[in-house]
Amino acid sequence: MKFKKVMALVLASAMVFSMAACGGGSGSSGGTNKEDSADSGKSGDGVELSVSIWDPNQEPGIKEILADFTEETGIKTKLTVVKWDEYWTMLEAGAQGGSLPDVFWMHSNESERYMSNDMLLDLTDKIAESDKIDPENYPEDIWGLYTYDDKYYAVPKDVDTIALWYNKKMFDEAGLAYPTSDWTWDDVSEAAKKLTKDDGSQYGLAVRNDNNQAGYYNLIYDNGGYIINEDKTKSGWDDPKTMEAMQTLEGWIKDGVMPSIETMSENGEDVLFQSGKVAMVLQGSWMVAAYRDNEYTAANCDLVELPKNAETGRRASVYNGLGWAASANGKHTEEAWKLLEYLGSKEAQQKQAELGVTMSAYKGTSDAWAKSADFNLQAYLNMMDDMEIRPYSKTTVTWENEDNEILKSVYMGEKTMEEACKAMADQMNEKLAEEGN
Amino acid sequence: MAKRGKPAHTGRRRSEFLWGWLFILPTVIGLIILNIIPIFQTVYQSFFKTGDFGKGNIFIGFENYTKVFGDAEIWQALINTFKYAIIEVPFSIILALVLAVLLNRKMKGRSVYRTVIFLPMVAAPAAVAMVWRWLFNSDFGLLNNIFHLNVKWISDPKIAVYSIAVIGVWSILGYNMVLFLSGLQEIPHDYYEAAELDGATGIKSFFHITVPLLSPTIFFVLVTRVIGSLQVFDLIYMVMDKSNPALEKTQSLVYLFYKYAFINKNMGYGATIVVVLLVITMIITALQMIGQKKWVFYN
Repeated sequence: MKFKKVMALVLASAMVFSMAACGGGSGSSGGTNKEDSADSGKSGDGVELSVSIWDPNQEPGIKEILADFTEETGIKTKLTVVKWDEYWTMLEAGAQGGSLPDVFWMHSNESERYMSNDMLLDLTDKIAESDKIDPENYPEDIWGLYTYDDKYYAVPKDVDTIALWYNKKMFDEAGLAYPTSDWTWDDVSEAAKKLTKDDGSQYGLAVRNDNNQAGYYNLIYDNGGYIINEDKTKSGWDDPKTMEAMQTLEGWIKDGVMPSIETMSENGEDVLFQSGKVAMVLQGSWMVAAYRDNEYTAANCDLVELPKNAETGRRASVYNGLGWAASANGKHTEEAWKLLEYLGSKEAQQKQAELGVTMSAYKGTSDAWAKSADFNLQAYLNMMDDMEIRPYSKTTVTWENEDNEILKSVYMGEKTMEEACKAMADQMNEKLAEEGN
Repeated sequence: MAKRGKPAHTGRRRSEFLWGWLFILPTVIGLIILNIIPIFQTVYQSFFKTGDFGKGNIFIGFENYTKVFGDAEIWQALINTFKYAIIEVPFSIILALVLAVLLNRKMKGRSVYRTVIFLPMVAAPAAVAMVWRWLFNSDFGLLNNIFHLNVKWISDPKIAVYSIAVIGVWSILGYNMVLFLSGLQEIPHDYYEAAELDGATGIKSFFHITVPLLSPTIFFVLVTRVIGSLQVFDLIYMVMDKSNPALEKTQSLVYLFYKYAFINKNMGYGATIVVVLLVITMIITALQMIGQKKWVFYN
């Protein structure tokens, strides 16, 4: 009987504790699996579209736009946020089991697999008939990410560029002038050295081994190197120009101007920047909302265009854009298309920019975005002058993760950058060859 | 429905047989659908190069297996898994046993202690991992700041796997303790009284009465914990970031399974890894079954 008493007590406390645990999580913006339905406006015809995204920072803005849609059409929506890593597991299982969400974000890393397997709704005819969506109004490269066999499978959602963020307070303390748009990567290296304190309380810069698009990819394209060739058959990691560009990163690692990989992996670049541990980070425009809502960064930090390459004078931004896609086998494909059309319309894209959710893909809406936060956001817009699409192929995830793992060994001092670049080229070529089959 | 004319006890036996099956039917159906069938599917998949979304699988025989056995990453993961198990299993059993014996006596606040120790078991693993990740954080973590240390608990390849095992011990302790408590309460008090009359100390009666009479429970806990610890995944997945330099020295077989099957979308290779794990687990469990004859007493 005593045992029963123990168990009863334990179970009771179990319930209390698990409820408490649930209650604690949902308040913060970092929670996963949050669900919320926007049910306002006219009485719909009973259809509720499930919508899935992965970025909790964009959730409030997207929810507002979805509410507008419900008001206009009477079609209800249900928004679910699942974090990046789990998002693709969820989508994969959904695709295999025939239960994809009605409408969801697509990314260039994965789009080709989904398109080539007929998982996404073919939008070609619908776009041709639509008076709201004209492909001319969006960057061509972003359509390219979501086109397969000359058919459209997603509506462009946004476009992103990269900029250099810096901590004004630390620059003041060190008596350095703030970075300008005339900076070269060498200026960054110089400043990073001066901003690094010997006691390890402050570092000049943080670029993690997996910060490719916002980080070292830009260095590579500035220097005339590349990651993957045009027809996606060969890696550019062993290109001399690529390897030369990566020497800059190796220099930062060796000079100790960045926190150790241990510290960066435990905390993340953004957390280190937000807690005043590093003076400069390279970040994409998708981070603006997070830095705007963080008190410390809002008060002390600002951004400027990426530095140039001193020799070539090039200042490229490796960019990407998400797409809104719909399930090919969903029950409500008609309604889903209506939502896609709305999300791609000038009205919704303008609103997305105004709310500061992200830069919008629709041309001419970016000025609204530049006013959405008290930073020098014009820098992100200026970066659009020279853009390179984020390198991708059918199995991007596989080779990209492997690249990151190999690069990690340079941070740990186990490999030189040259060895790592060659190893990355080898593994990538191997995987690209397999893709062809 | 028993046939008429047969002796009564046969009819009853048959109805007992039927009812017996009826009662376990829900569990059996669940096991078959959720466990047994997937096991065979997994074994089947391990002979294929799987296509996207389960379509277009190509039969490749033992190719996945030769790749697994030639993959240094897999062998390292196996070593990591064993290292984890070697810490988690003995410590969680010994500590739980001591705690169970202490909390089996009459004392103040007994239920409070029992509940507190059991609590980690009911917390979501993700929440547990987040809390420990912060405790272990080398720059902002509580451990390093309180004791003025500079230990990279979860990013030093030499110790990270043991740090993870500590979390494992902490979270499973309460569950083991409850099992031991239930076992302890089945030991008749007479033995202890008799031993006391004969002048046995507490420690002596622990080793000569408690341990032997509790050995069936200890054996059960041992077998389940070994299996459980070989399947460790969630702690590593939650605590270790992908860019963590210690990841290669901490990732377990199930972690690699997840990586290949769900991130790299190579289901066939992932399936092969878990089939290997299944075989290893079965061998270890079989060895324990044989070994139990030497030390487990059933009265």
